[in-house]
Formats: sequence, C-alpha cells, structure tokens
Amino acid sequence: MKPYRLRPGRLIAKAVLALAGFLAVFPLAWTALNALKNNVDIITRVPKVVFTPTLANISYILGRDSVLTGLYNSAVACGAAVLIGIVLGLPAAYAVARYPNRFAGDIQFFVLSLRFLPPVAVAIPLMVIWLQIGLYDTLPALIVTYSLLTISVIMWLAIPAFQGVPKEIEEAAFVDGYGAYSVFWRIALPVAARSLIGAIAFSFVLVWNEFLIALMLSSSNAKTLPIVASELSQQGMNVPWGILNASVVLLSLPPLLFLGVLSGFLNSVFRQKKS
Amino acid sequence: MRRRSSLPVTFLVPTLAILLVLSMVPTLYAIVIALQNRELSSPGYSWVWFSNFADLFLDRRFLNAVWVSVKWEIVTVVATMAVAIGLGVLMFEVASPRLRNFYCLLFIIPVLLPRVSAAFVWKFAYHPLYGIATYPYRLITGGLIFDPLSKPATALFAVASVDVWQWGLFFAVIVLKLLETLPPQPIEAARLDHAKRWQIHAYVTLPMLKAPLISLMFVKMIESLRSFDLIYVMTRGGPGVATETLDMYAFSQGFIESGKVSYASAMAVLMMIATVITFTMLWKRVQA
Repeated sequence: MKPYRLRPGRLIAKAVLALAGFLAVFPLAWTALNALKNNVDIITRVPKVVFTPTLANISYILGRDSVLTGLYNSAVACGAAVLIGIVLGLPAAYAVARYPNRFAGDIQFFVLSLRFLPPVAVAIPLMVIWLQIGLYDTLPALIVTYSLLTISVIMWLAIPAFQGVPKEIEEAAFVDGYGAYSVFWRIALPVAARSLIGAIAFSFVLVWNEFLIALMLSSSNAKTLPIVASELSQQGMNVPWGILNASVVLLSLPPLLFLGVLSGFLNSVFRQKKS
Repeated sequence: MRRRSSLPVTFLVPTLAILLVLSMVPTLYAIVIALQNRELSSPGYSWVWFSNFADLFLDRRFLNAVWVSVKWEIVTVVATMAVAIGLGVLMFEVASPRLRNFYCLLFIIPVLLPRVSAAFVWKFAYHPLYGIATYPYRLITGGLIFDPLSKPATALFAVASVDVWQWGLFFAVIVLKLLETLPPQPIEAARLDHAKRWQIHAYVTLPMLKAPLISLMFVKMIESLRSFDLIYVMTRGGPGVATETLDMYAFSQGFIESGKVSYASAMAVLMMIATVITFTMLWKRVQA
C-alpha cells in the first residue's frame, strides 16, 4: 500500500478514535477515582481532580457482611455453574463437531435458541417451582438455573473451537491405536485448550454479570454481588457516594481480570476464519 | 477413518437431556401459570384460562411497554451498528497495527462490565449536579441543570447510550477484525480506479461483509432484549412509564406492585412467543 498524505480528514478520524478510546475507559476510571474520595470531594459542582485520597470506602465495603456474603454467593454460584458447563458442555460440543449426524444442525439451533428465551419468562416459573419444593433463595437453585446458561454458551462456543483442531492430528492418533475417548482427552482437549479457555471465561463473565434471574430467585440468603451492589445504589440521594463507587469497582474487577484471555480468544476466532 | 464408537451417544445424550429439562420445564410451567390466577400473597389459585391475555390487551400500560420495548430495540440496534461500523472503519483506515491492538483492548472493557456496574457508572455521570457527563453543560451554561434521566423525552436515550457504550465499542473491534480478514486485491483495484476512501468501504468492503454484519446485528437484537438490568438500576422504568420495557413491567407487576405472578407470566409468555418466532425466522433467513 502506498502511504497517504496527511489530510485534515485523517486528522479528524484520529481525533474521533482518540475520543472514543477516552470515552471507553474514562467513566470507569472516574468511578475508581471517586472510590478513593471522601464524600465532600465527590459532591462538588466542579469535578475535583486533586483531593486527599482515603481508603475508608474500600475498607467499609470489605467489612460489610452483606458484601462479603454476596461475594461468596457469586463466587460459588458462578464457579459451580461454570464447572457444570465445562463437564457437560465440552464433551457434547466435541461430539457435535467431530461426529456429524443428521441432527447436528438442529442441535446447534436448539442450543442457540435457548438464548432467545426472555429471562423473565424463565425466572417467573422457576421462582414458583423453587418455592414449591423449598429451594427458593438457596445457592443450589441458582446454580441449576445458571447451568442452563453456562452449558449452552460453552457448547455453542466450543463447537467451532473443536472444529478448528486439525483433523490429521486426530486421525494419526487413531492410527496409533488411541480409542475415541482418549483422542478427546489427550488430543482434542489440549490442542483446542486456548480457544476453550476463552469460551469458559466468557461463560463465567456472563453469569457473574447476570442480574435479573438472581434478583428473582433470591430474597436474603442467596443474593449475589450484583444484587447487593444495586441495593446500595437504591438508597435514595443521600447515599454515601464513595461507598457506592467502591462497590462498583469491586463488582467490576473479576470480569476485567479476563480482559487478556478474552481479547486473545477474539483474535484466535478471527485468525481461524482467515486461514 | 474413525471407527464406530459409543462416544457421540455418551457425550451428547446426557447434556441434551439436561438442557431439554432445564429449558422446557420453566417454559411449559410459564404457560401453565399464565392460565391461572396465582398471586404471591396467597397460596390458592384457580384456572382462568385466557383471561390474563385478554386483560393484557386492554391494559394501556402494557401497550406502552410494548411500544417502549420496540423503540429500545430499534434505537440500540441501529446506534450500536452505526458506532461499530464507523469506529471499525476508522481504525482500519488510520490506526497502525500497534494502535489498533491498543484501541481493541480499550473498546472491549465496557462490555465486560456487569450491566449493574455500567448502569451505576453512568447514573452517577448523568447526575444533574455532580455528574461528570453533565459537567460540560453546567460549565457552558453557567450552572444550568440538565437531568437526562428524569425527562421523559431523553430518559430512554440516556439509558440506551449506556447500552451502545458497551456493545457499540465492542462490535467496532469485531468489525475491524472482519475488515482485516478481507483479501486486499479488491481494495487495491478500487483504489486504482481512483475510488475515494469512503467509496471503497461503502461499495466494496462493507458489501463483502454483508453476511457477517447481518449475523452481528442478529446477535445485538438478541442481546438488546436484555435491557432489564440497565433500566432497573438507572430509572426503574421512570420517569412515569417512559422507559418501562416489557421485562421491567412484568417484573413490577409480578414482584414490586401487586404480586400478580400469573399476570406477569402471561406477559412473559407473549414475549417468549414473539421472540422465538421472530428470531427463528430471522435465523433461518440468515442461514439460507
């Protein structure tokens, strides 16, 4: 490609991009900054950039029982649901990817169509069901409900990941006398591992961020962190803003830990497409 | 050739059985509840068949919610695609590879945030007195107050802007990756014909990406159905009913205001039928 002269159009384009990049992170960075401020430094008509930082908000948040319980519930519910998603989703995805049958298209569509179901339509009847069998507001109820999400998402994303494994490697293993199961364990899983980890991370972020189902299926014991955080923000206008900001930061940290994994996953998906 | 093996059956059947049970039980039960008159406050109930559905069509708040949901769907999908294609093309045109990677990383951050976090970040940014997003307005007008979340005319757009902030930027990354997968020859050819930059994209690259872009729009249409978290945290459906989408209204009927679980479920069933039919048809067309 030949280089282009520097024109005003290019400058404007670069400015727009820089502005978009700024808008992408600034609101979050500002929230993180507010988490370190005393209330008097937040409630100002002119935003304050220079202030005396305080750790009071963060230590208050980490000392609250409701927040710690929420953190524990979120970790257990999401962890268990993702684990179930892995155990049930990955083998099923492999079977669809490598043992084509006449139902393969229908299975893929069924798994995708689970995503069309409005969450309210699932949550209302489940609430009634869990109430009737006495599991309402417990972690097992939440885990089972979230498993529907994690299994389908992991399966949906793992099918192309397994299809990306070169067939020759698997055929060679068969020739070497491996059985179908050990080909899955020893060849397909390790070779596809990078993409699979991306798919698993994605499903974790999805359930960690989930709100509506958790809101409807918990009343006190099984509240997850998003519910606890939203309750803090519903306390009217006299709320301690610094504490709120700190809770938002705490809630947002786990998904952001996966930023690297997920952007790598995105890259590998498109590299596959190109080749 | 691989030998016949029990693997497909042992790997597929349990998973599909569990998925079927987990999805069909609530779906069928939602229909059952919708045909009864259950309320949260009392354990008794009786069958009322279709009277909940008949009531819905006379309920002006329900019709308003349908209209708000349609507006939400259109505004968020169109704005997301516009932002994504605009920024994706700009990155493709003016950013060096290293800068592209940097922007991609930045643009993925908003979508990873829990919706509750994103909603809260912007709720505070839009605060009329102390918000960072309303600060420029206060600065220019000398302290006038602008409160986008409490005006019926602007509230929906203010909430939609958060959705576009999350998804538009993320999709810009995908549009860029799609542009990078295109073969360079057609672009070179167009350039030799003295096509302008925007013409190359409008007539060559974007038409070549028509199928993946439509799939992307399809994904966004599905994700836009999940507006509840944003609206619940930012406006609770207000001011008045200006941002009350179907899931918000179903939730407030079933849980906040009256505990009419059956009425809420009837709404959810209508939503489910509408979305399943629409998206199944769209999906078949996308695939064809």
